[in-house]
This record gives sequence, structure tokens and C-alpha cells, in this order.
Amino acid sequence: MSKEIIRAENLSLYYEEMERPVFRNLSFQIHACENVLILGPSGSGKSSLIQCLNGLYPRELDGTMKGSVTVNGKSTREFQPGAASKHVGVVFQDPETQFCMLTVEDEIAFGLENLRTPVQEMEAIINDVLHSVGLYEFKSAQISKLSGGQKQKLALACILAMEPEVIVLDEPTANLDPVASKDFVATLSALKHKRDFALIVIEHQLDDWVTLLERAFILQNNGVCLYDGPFRKGMELHAASLQKQGIWMPFAAQTAIKKKIAFLRLPLLIEELVNVNNPELLNVSHPASKHKRGDVLLEAYNVSWKKVVRSTALQIHQHEFIAIVGANGSGKTSLSRLLAGISKPSKGKISFQGKLLSQWKERHLYEKLGYVFQNPEHQFITDSVYEEIAFGLRIMYPDSQEAERKTDKILAQFHLEQWKHHHPFALSQGQKRRLSVAAMLANDQSLLFLDEPTFGQDAASTDKLMELLMDKFNKGTSIVMITHDMNLVDQYATRVLVVDEGRIAADVSPAKLWVRGDLDDFQLTYPNRIELERMLKKRKDSYVPS
Amino acid sequence: MYLHNVNPSVKALTIVGLVFVLAFLFDPITPLIYIFWTLLITFSFGSFRKKYYIIYFLSFLLFAFGMLWSSIIFADVPNDPAEQVTILGWEVPKEDLLVAISLSLRILAFATLSLLFVFTTNMVQFILSLIQQLKLPPKLAYGILAGYRFLPMMKDEFQHIRSAHRLRGLNEAASFPAKLQQFQRFAIPLLAGAIRKAERTAVAMESKGFTGDRNRTYYRPITISKKDWIFPIIMFSMLGLLIAVSVKFGYFSWYSGQF
Repeated sequence: MSKEIIRAENLSLYYEEMERPVFRNLSFQIHACENVLILGPSGSGKSSLIQCLNGLYPRELDGTMKGSVTVNGKSTREFQPGAASKHVGVVFQDPETQFCMLTVEDEIAFGLENLRTPVQEMEAIINDVLHSVGLYEFKSAQISKLSGGQKQKLALACILAMEPEVIVLDEPTANLDPVASKDFVATLSALKHKRDFALIVIEHQLDDWVTLLERAFILQNNGVCLYDGPFRKGMELHAASLQKQGIWMPFAAQTAIKKKIAFLRLPLLIEELVNVNNPELLNVSHPASKHKRGDVLLEAYNVSWKKVVRSTALQIHQHEFIAIVGANGSGKTSLSRLLAGISKPSKGKISFQGKLLSQWKERHLYEKLGYVFQNPEHQFITDSVYEEIAFGLRIMYPDSQEAERKTDKILAQFHLEQWKHHHPFALSQGQKRRLSVAAMLANDQSLLFLDEPTFGQDAASTDKLMELLMDKFNKGTSIVMITHDMNLVDQYATRVLVVDEGRIAADVSPAKLWVRGDLDDFQLTYPNRIELERMLKKRKDSYVPS
Repeated sequence: MYLHNVNPSVKALTIVGLVFVLAFLFDPITPLIYIFWTLLITFSFGSFRKKYYIIYFLSFLLFAFGMLWSSIIFADVPNDPAEQVTILGWEVPKEDLLVAISLSLRILAFATLSLLFVFTTNMVQFILSLIQQLKLPPKLAYGILAGYRFLPMMKDEFQHIRSAHRLRGLNEAASFPAKLQQFQRFAIPLLAGAIRKAERTAVAMESKGFTGDRNRTYYRPITISKKDWIFPIIMFSMLGLLIAVSVKFGYFSWYSGQF
């Protein structure tokens, strides 16, 4: 076994205001050049665990940390602030807030300056890391001008430049479009060949990572370690409880288990899944949709906004489930905000239920039209989770008992009961997201916009959320959802809008979109189901005797 | 351009020194000539968008003029007709008028000097120079730099919160108490967001090894060379010359409690 770098022993973490520990009695080692995936449901303390590894906790912790973490044999408690980062570098989840300088080169230099790297050597190091993440041409660019994917690569480059022995990535692809995330993983794989570092990744969406990360460390809801060992074996042994805990599994593994296909080794990649002996079991095609849409609900005529949305026309009908997809920064959010009347178009007109948006009284409009923001915190207006949901219901049901009954029901549906007296801001990211959707769904709108509602959610929360949305949809609400998750598009949408540079590049049913060969141009990928079908077909074709 | 390359700390201290000296001069002629001198230097040795300069300058001019105007209007009623002048049919004491003019011109002189600095200095360079030359603690300086990135983010955030609240059925407030309440509702998520962002940035900075320690190297070392001293020498010589002229012609006056 190669050299041990991090050793955690009986690590438990308690936050001040909570009785239960975030996680307890974790013991593990991280060795040089290892690739570890940390897996667990939302709120199981994965991000907190990282803070323990890089020495930030217990120093900055409001609570207590029990047990010990050593980095190269030295306890993290003994490191000076910032000193452990020489050994353990972290790339954080939010690409916006991890920079403190204005340009790309300055940001990388910042870390080097902290390490007291001589000035003469800096230039070479900066060039080197920029080359290895593919950002060299942006060396003197302003950070604010970079796309989400580029920012995440820059964050990685900053850490690479400092040459730590362990690099930790906290949901690095959560904010990225499908191609950018694949690209990010590819960059990392290439780096692993060139440089020596151990890699620890926290991630919900596993499909892109399967080949890179061979060890899994699985945390449970209650903060106890479920499994630590080879990734595949973990999936094989604990598939049932993973599903129960709502932890994502790779598509191939999920399908194999769902279809009860016998296997020697649980497939993790679609390529492996295709090679089972009885491929006819793998029929994953959707039943032909019987969906029928209703009358026109919302209509946009040649709408433009700044340079972000360019003369767009479209109609939204009753009973439609529309997915808006496209690259980071292509104008998806701006378009949805225009359609919802949040921003006013600089050109063009939008009408809702036959009346121009500008003629609607705001209050009446938003009784019929809902919008869930990307950042859930923006829309919280009360002091408790309970009040947050009850707020809209009280307006709808003047009978307070009815409102209370409904509130309790929604709290239960969204698994928020035990938090009902908490302040909305005190919830975990996943819970906040659920609350923001719950508060919106409480009203019976006829059209609902959601801006990346499933981002950063574990499998259980995503399933739950989609189930609730489908319920609304089946009762007649039209849903417009911005998402990067092509599997959701495939599974739920009745219509897809592909946005590219402020224009609608395609407006088709998902089935028709998958037939097109140019998804790459829009930074999109094919859903797993389609890839599986293609590979199956390829395999069948190659069996045809010639 | 020369002005952009002057060491920012030297430039800043020069400006502060000049402002300090000008504050003690009380004749109207010296600042007036010095204003033209500063403008000449700014436009000859700096490169920037002239339009913006003019907009800023005009707003200071307006302010200075307002100051002049109000000093004249609120001047004491003259009691000695020999000591008064008439402007646009308005009779004001000569003494008061001179004080008003020199006050306004001083403001304008400070403004032109500040604008010279603002329009020819890169904010990042200035802060780096403050750390390297003037020994500003890095903890503070890098904090300011990080905060500088936050400003546009805060503006976006505010707009998001506003529209999110409108969507939840909270109308734009019309009356003053309602506005106050609305402001509170905005302030909490805005502040919570800002604090959380600041915390994340602080954590990210620390995980890049930032300790606030002065013992660090600099990718952009900012030094003081002989050329940097030309700026203070020229600026102070000119001021000295103007003061000498004013003494020679007898209109020199220190500030000694007038007005």
C-alpha cells in the first residue's frame, strides 16, 4: 500500500444547536494517489467532513469535534491556520465565491504567494497549470467573464499550482452543463496520469465519475459510515440500502438491479451493462406517450432582452411539461424570467391567458403563475418553515383550519416536518430547495416555472420532487423546468426547448431531440437510456452474420 | 502613460500632501492656477475615457458653485458700503465674497487632484502597493480586494430578492412604514447571503494557504523607482512656485480662522 497521508480516527462532529452529531465515529485513511468518492444523502455531513480534513475544523467550528485527524502524521489541531492547505487542497461547490482576485493569473498567483514561492518561479507554474486545465488562453482574463465550467477549472488550477498531496472536490460539477461536466472529469483523469495526488470527490451524479473513482466511502442518513472499500463492491453489497437512503447509483447499476438481471459483477458503466447475456431484458424504451396538450396558455411574440434573449417566439399550452436546456450562460434563466413577467422584455410582447403581461395586476398574475428561483434563499419571506408554506395557503383558504391541514400535509410530503419550527435559512441546501418548491406548489397555479430545482439533490429528494411535480402536472398545471439533467428531460418532459445564445435552437419532443446528432453543439449530452439503446443496437448489429 | 506607472502609494501620498498644503492657503488665485495645472498634468500624462472625467468634474463643479452661491446668499448684511461689491445687482461684503470664492476653489482643487488619482490608478495595484510599501496588513488588504468583487454580485442579488418577493404575492410597498418593513424583509436574505458568501470566500482563501501573514512573496512586486519621484517633485515645485509668486505680489494669505 502506498504512503498514508490522512488518517481519521473516531471522528465525530457536533454542531452547537443540534443534539445529534452530524457524523460519528468515522475512521479511515487516505493514501497517496488514491481516488475516493464520498457518497451520502443530502445533509449527511459530507461537506463538514472536508472541513475536518483540511484543518478548518475544529478551529472555525461552532460545536465540537471529537476524535482526531492527522495529515502526514501531524494532528490538524496543531497546524497553523492555512498551513494544512499545503497538503490538502479543496475546490468548493460554489464557483462564484472561491476567488478573491480579479484576473485568472492573479488568482493562481495568490496561492503561490501564500506559500512564499519565489517570484521567478511563479510564471512557469502558472503557465503549466493553466495548460493542464486548458485555460492558458484566458491567463489575463477577468474572472467574472469566465463561464461556470471555466471557473470550476480555474478553481482546480489554483489548487493544482500549490501541489497538495490530496485534492478534495466538493460537488464540482453541480453547476455545470452536461458537456462541461464531462469535460471537467476528463481534465481530471488526464491530470491523474501526469501528476501525483490523491483525489477525494463528493458528488451526487455518479455516471461521469465511475471510471475515475475506485474507492467509495458511503455515509448514511444518521452520520454513520455504511461502507468503505472498492466502489463496485459497495454498490453490490449495499444496493438496497443505498436506494432506501436515497443515494444516487450509476445508471447501469440501477438498471441492472431494477430489471433483475443476473450479473457476476455489478455493471457500473453502460458498456458493461450491454454485455449481459440476455440483452432483451434491457428494454428501457418509453411507452408511446398518450399526452395531449390543451389550449394556448402563454404566448411570446418576438421577445428580446438586452443581448441575452434574441427575438424569440413561442407558445406554452395547457398541460405541458417543458424542459429548457442549453449551455451555461445561453440565456435559459433570462428567457424564463421574461416569460414569467419578472423582467420586462426590451422588445416584443408576451400574453398570458389571452391578456398581455403588462395588463395583468401583479397579484392576480402570480396567483396563476409561479416561479421557483435558482437560489432558494431569495424567496423566503417568513421566520419559520411552517409559516413559509402556510403563507400562500392562508391567502387561498381563509378558513385557517383548512390552511393548517394543508400545510401539515405539504410538510409531510416534502419531509420537512421535523424542521417546521426552524428558520428557513438554518436548513441544509437540499432542504432549502425542497422548501422553496413546497412553498410555491402550495398555491394552485396553472403555470409553474422552476430554475434547476433538482440541482445538488440526492436521488430520494429528486425523485420525491419530480413525483410532486408530476402530480401537479397530471392535475393540469403546465410546468416549465430549466435543467442540466438530461435523464430528467427524457423521463418527464413532453417538450424540450434548446436555448443557444439567446435563441431557441430546437423546440421538439424529447424523442425527436434524441434523434438529432448535433446535441454537442449546445453543450448537451444524450440521456443514459438513449446511450444504452444505441449500444444495444450496435451490439445486435455486430451479431448479424455476414 | 506616465501617470499610470507612478507607484500608487507615492501618488496617493503626494495627493494627500498637496491637499494638506492647499488646505492652508486662503487666497483664491493660487488654487485657481493649481486647478488648471492639475488638469493639464492629468490630460497630458494620463489616458482614460474623457467623457467620464468630464461628468465627474462637472458634478464637483456644480457642488463648488453651490457652495459659492450659498455663501454669498447667506452673507452678513454689509455695514460699510466701501467694503462691498455688487454682483448681478446683489450687494455683498467684499471680504465674504473672497472667502466664498477661495473656499469653492479649494474644493475644486481637491477634486481635480482626487480625480487625477482615481482616473490613473488601478485599484488592485493600489492595494498591492499599500501592502508592499505602506505595510497595510494583508488580512485587511485582501479582504478589501475580495469585497470589491462582491459589489456587482450584491446588486444582482438585491434584484433577485425583490422579484422573488413580488412573486410570493408581496406587492411593492407604497407608504413609508410599509417601505421600511419591506426593506427589513429584503435586508435579512441580502445580509445572510452576503455573510455566507464572505464566509465561503474566507474559507476558500484559507484553503489556498492564506494566513494573513506578512511574510509572503508577490507575483506583481510593486517597487519605487527614481522615476516615481518625478511626480511629487513636479507637483510640489509648482505649488511652491505659486506660493512664492503670491508672496511676491502680496496676495498670499494663510488660513487663520476666516469664515
